Amino acid sequence: MVKRVWCAVLVLVLAVVVQTGCTSKQKTAEKTADSAGNGAPQSAEARPPRNPLRNAYFGDLHLHTSYSMDAFAFSTRTTPEDSCKYAMGETVEYMGKPVKRIAPLDFLAVTDHAEYLGVVRETINPNGPFANTEWYKMMTSTDPKVSGEAFKKLIGSTVVNKPLPEFTDPKLAQSAWEQYAAVADKYYKPGKFTSFVGFEWTSAPQNQNLHRCVIFANKGPAMPFSSFDSQDPEKLWEYLEWQRKQGLEVIAVPHNANVSNGLMFDTKDLSGKPLTREYAERRMANEPLAEIIQGKGQSDTSAALSPNDEFANFEMFTYLIGTNIKAKSATGSYLRQAYGVGQALQQKLGVNPFKYGVEAGTDFHSGVSSTEPSNYVGSHGNQDSDPRAVVTATESVSGEPPTAIGSGGLTGVWAEENTREAIFSAFKRKETFGTSGVRLKVRVFASWKYPRGLTKNPDWVKTAYADGVPMGGDLSAPSGKGGPTFLLHAVKDPDSGNLDRIQIIKVTTRKGKSQEKIFDAVWSGDRKPDPRTGKVPPVSNTVDVKTATYTNNIGSVELLGEWTDPEFDPSANVTYYARVLEIPTPRWSTYWAAKLNMPPNPAVPAFEQQRAWTSPIWYTPTNGAR
Amino acid sequence: MSVSPIVPIEAQPVIERSRLGQDFPSTLKCWLREPLLHFLVLGLVVFAVYGYMHRGRGGVESSRQIALTLDDLRTMESYFESQWHRPPTPEEFNAMVEDKVREEVLYREALAMGLDKDDTIVKRRMAQKMQFLAEDVAAAHEPSTAELKAWFDKNSSKFALPSRYSFRHLYFSPDRRGKNAQEDAAKALVRIAGQPEDSKLVASLADQFMFQDYYGDRAPEALAKEFGPQFVVALEKLQPGSWQGPIESGYGWHLVFVDTVIPGRIPAFEEMEPDVKTAWLGEQKAQAWHKAYADMRAKYSVFLPAPPDKQSASAPTPPPKKQIPAPSGEGPL
Repeated sequence: MVKRVWCAVLVLVLAVVVQTGCTSKQKTAEKTADSAGNGAPQSAEARPPRNPLRNAYFGDLHLHTSYSMDAFAFSTRTTPEDSCKYAMGETVEYMGKPVKRIAPLDFLAVTDHAEYLGVVRETINPNGPFANTEWYKMMTSTDPKVSGEAFKKLIGSTVVNKPLPEFTDPKLAQSAWEQYAAVADKYYKPGKFTSFVGFEWTSAPQNQNLHRCVIFANKGPAMPFSSFDSQDPEKLWEYLEWQRKQGLEVIAVPHNANVSNGLMFDTKDLSGKPLTREYAERRMANEPLAEIIQGKGQSDTSAALSPNDEFANFEMFTYLIGTNIKAKSATGSYLRQAYGVGQALQQKLGVNPFKYGVEAGTDFHSGVSSTEPSNYVGSHGNQDSDPRAVVTATESVSGEPPTAIGSGGLTGVWAEENTREAIFSAFKRKETFGTSGVRLKVRVFASWKYPRGLTKNPDWVKTAYADGVPMGGDLSAPSGKGGPTFLLHAVKDPDSGNLDRIQIIKVTTRKGKSQEKIFDAVWSGDRKPDPRTGKVPPVSNTVDVKTATYTNNIGSVELLGEWTDPEFDPSANVTYYARVLEIPTPRWSTYWAAKLNMPPNPAVPAFEQQRAWTSPIWYTPTNGAR
Repeated sequence: MSVSPIVPIEAQPVIERSRLGQDFPSTLKCWLREPLLHFLVLGLVVFAVYGYMHRGRGGVESSRQIALTLDDLRTMESYFESQWHRPPTPEEFNAMVEDKVREEVLYREALAMGLDKDDTIVKRRMAQKMQFLAEDVAAAHEPSTAELKAWFDKNSSKFALPSRYSFRHLYFSPDRRGKNAQEDAAKALVRIAGQPEDSKLVASLADQFMFQDYYGDRAPEALAKEFGPQFVVALEKLQPGSWQGPIESGYGWHLVFVDTVIPGRIPAFEEMEPDVKTAWLGEQKAQAWHKAYADMRAKYSVFLPAPPDKQSASAPTPPPKKQIPAPSGEGPL
């Protein structure tokens, strides 16, 4: 036996030595050829030129694969590689079926849960570290009750935030993490497709959601930070700050404020102390963006908080995640209100802790960013893989029925090119927008000095940048009388509905008190605003629910216009952001019902107006003006 | 048990190497080609491997000594830092070292008691290591350019590049023309027939497009993202060199002047060498493993009980054993 091992080792060593010898010779030969001018290799595909006026790119910044414990529990078996392939437009297999996007995405961050990342899927590997353990037996049990219990135990440990030691073994965790992070580097094709290293920090004290997606600009960290390390966002920021000291640029993105029960935009920190200036500065340095929509609902506003907003009631999700408890508090759970609260805090502390730009993602636990309503494939493995059950179920034992999950969200960025550097810079300067999953493009600029009719000039974008600020920016001190002028431009998704209107949502804060007002700024057709309310009447509806079809013979392909604030008060803090609405189109659940020739699920609307929200532009009065 | 750190032995050779490299580059190259050196190096490696394999099992001293290298300590420290974002305190560091020592002590004691025998986890872990070993042999072999090229010639279809289109287009907007957009485009086509692609007349007939009027060198996939898939299907049928259309996109109607079409092609090896190497390596690893396993598997006979049938349920005799052949190709069962 010993002899045999000896022989094997000798052969191996010999092979290595001989091959290494070859290599050094080969390399020398190549170098000589190069210096002799034998032609440098040409790049196979020319990279599109940089556009200094920036292009819109779309991506998903929130996606789970089988590396997430819960997704794995739902029988999702896709890997981060599958996610990249699907985003790039390739066909991958999901729940036993081939799936493919109609339009590929430009960028992607897979953000699996940091807790047990990549470890739980090892439990069913007969050659893995759990082989022959109780876990292996339970997880591979043919009795769904047994495997269900095992998952309950696992998920339960994350809910109460008490890690099971066998799943946090450092060696296992590290090897899974390295494998996972390497995928983002492998699929990054500058100019064509950008993949970021990311993970989700899954903190939810008493089921109140404080989750953040963490996204790295370039290389990933040695290890992620999980809620087992700490449930306090300030500790997460400590981790991010430490990563920056190591030379890794990184941001955190809070999501699902809508199910935080008021915790996400609370005026107190997690320990119950009032927010301080230092806290506000730190929060904004670490979190430039917030997720405005994803599968589990939008976090812009609710009908209760915005009673005058007739479009507020869109993709609502009110159950605390994974429970059948309804969120009690809308206050502190939505961005629009937080913009006002942030401005009031700014007047007190000197810094606005909620000066968030916006982005969006799917949060699908399927490994595939299936955001196209007509091409939606489900989002949570076996939880919504049976179309008939999904189309009929109006309630569920825990939380919302699967039909309540929307077809996600996408982040739009304005960047010079499709590279990690350009896109991450857009995140940092908040030149971003979030959509309900469509590839609708929108841009906003503001200034005091744009001449009237500027958008008629084909070069208007150049002037817009030169003489004003894009979304995510701050207006300078006012010059002259009157309010700032906004340039607004939206172009439809070539695979979706035409556009209804662009609105400006204005949140004004005077002496600590905030109010919101919505202005219709640019709209399609020849509709006249109601002289009393100033509101443009609703666009008509072409949706045929039975066949799940619509026609683009109403609405506009493109909306371009200018809007000047008629009620500007230079002494108040203001947050301005734009919302773009499409004409009504069938919801994904209506496409599913039509395919089965069944009526759509009554628990959700049959059609809705897909939309986009931009990052705001802020106005802060100088001390003199206030 | 007390722990005394070992002086780092690799510090000295590092300095030696760099000095050699600077002062005697040509001498070094000569040395590297020297077969005697290869032999000596090989001998050293064999000696080291032998020593490693027999540590803790051979003489009395080695089984009672636990030596941690500077690298071990550094790895422990950096792992701690990645978790806690600060270096460990001396107490924490000692505790980590003691943990490591405990693991090693228990491991050796367990080996001495023979606990590694008949343990499924140990068995599977070792089986897995065999696979890594086989794959590592493949990875250790640095391919020559000629080798890669030959492989590329056989597998070039995996690297096919899509066609690329350069075109100018005129946009007829349904926002401005309503239902007439298509018809207006068709009428405009008659007027501009024979005009150069950038003439003033041509531009005056159409509407301003929100993105670009000219797209250079774009793959169908990128164009489908921008214009919608139906536009690309239509574009692929157009002949270059004249105004054609109208064709429909997700935005409305277009007349298109295709300048050039670079047909899809198999790239030259030189353009793709890094990608080829990655793909080649993946295949080598898989092949190495399949072959290594097939060789090992061939040495074994496997016996399984025949499936029980109704008769055998009444008959108490054990079922006859049936030999199953080794699988022909595809890796482990």
